[in-house]
Amino acid sequence: MKKLVFLSAVLTMFTTMAVSAQVSGKLVSSKTQIKFFSSTPAEDIQAVNLTSVSTINRETGEVVFSVPMQGFEFEKALMQKHFNGEDFLNTQTYPKAKLTGKITNLDKIDFTKDGTYTATLEGEMTIKETTKAVKENGTVTVKGDLVEVQSKFNLTLADFGITFVKGKPSTNIAKAVEVSVLSQYLAE
Amino acid sequence: MKRKKILRIAATLVIAGLLIGGGVGLYMFNMPQRDVQAAKADYTLTGSQIVEEYLAGREAANSKYLSNDGDSKILIVTGVVNKISDDFSGQKVVLLKSDGDKAGVSATFTPETSSKAADLQIGTTVSIKGVIRSGATYDNDLGLYENVVLEKCDIVTL
Repeated sequence: MKKLVFLSAVLTMFTTMAVSAQVSGKLVSSKTQIKFFSSTPAEDIQAVNLTSVSTINRETGEVVFSVPMQGFEFEKALMQKHFNGEDFLNTQTYPKAKLTGKITNLDKIDFTKDGTYTATLEGEMTIKETTKAVKENGTVTVKGDLVEVQSKFNLTLADFGITFVKGKPSTNIAKAVEVSVLSQYLAE
Repeated sequence: MKRKKILRIAATLVIAGLLIGGGVGLYMFNMPQRDVQAAKADYTLTGSQIVEEYLAGREAANSKYLSNDGDSKILIVTGVVNKISDDFSGQKVVLLKSDGDKAGVSATFTPETSSKAADLQIGTTVSIKGVIRSGATYDNDLGLYENVVLEKCDIVTL
């Protein structure tokens, strides 16, 4: 009898744990792609990063992206060296960039129903220890268990203290770069 | 006559200098990416070891493993295959993680090596060589432990 009580107690505990895990509402993505594109008359520069981790909380609307900066891959080795170097992003000292924010129109997104929704995100972006407020739009696509997010926005380099006054970078790197984000989430 | 000769030598030197300088410049500009697999590994260790090292002291680990030009240390990491997935470029991503470890090592293969990663079995122990992009850490905002990230990976036999 005692055994039975214990067993049912354990069982109840596990069920509660399973249920609470289900309603935690956190989506996690390690399948991400962040691209940036810089265009000047001198040259076009593009880099791709596939190493970021992101979460979305379906209950609170909180969105987080953590971006390992050395994961940006360029076509040319020299560009990549410049990008990582102390004058540009100093990735040894500041290895990660971060975006934290909140979806402001969460009531318009039904994570339980397949469809495509437009989300507005307000928050902060930190690059090289400089934090700036951001407000961007993105598309949220729900398809069964899978949630996909896409967004495109411009980033002004000077906002994050990345400036060039002379030499090749000043003519070959655009003042504002276009960033495109694609990420695929599953429930935690 | 003598002056002409000097001038000719000077002109030849200038042209040679320009050609060499231009050549070096062109080479620098078009320098290919480092071939990670052809390069010698800097450290050979287990997945659990590097995760522990990062969790014990992130900054010390970053200055040990990350280089300031982005050509960071090349590691051979041995661990248990926990998960195999694809990234958006169609490359295979192998997660090495032992039971009980807070974080693992995420290893992204290349278009050339991905077929080898696809043949791996979950639960087997394997050694993977690649370049480190970032270390393991607990991120408060994510509420998760982030894995060590390696890219340009291939399977190696020790």
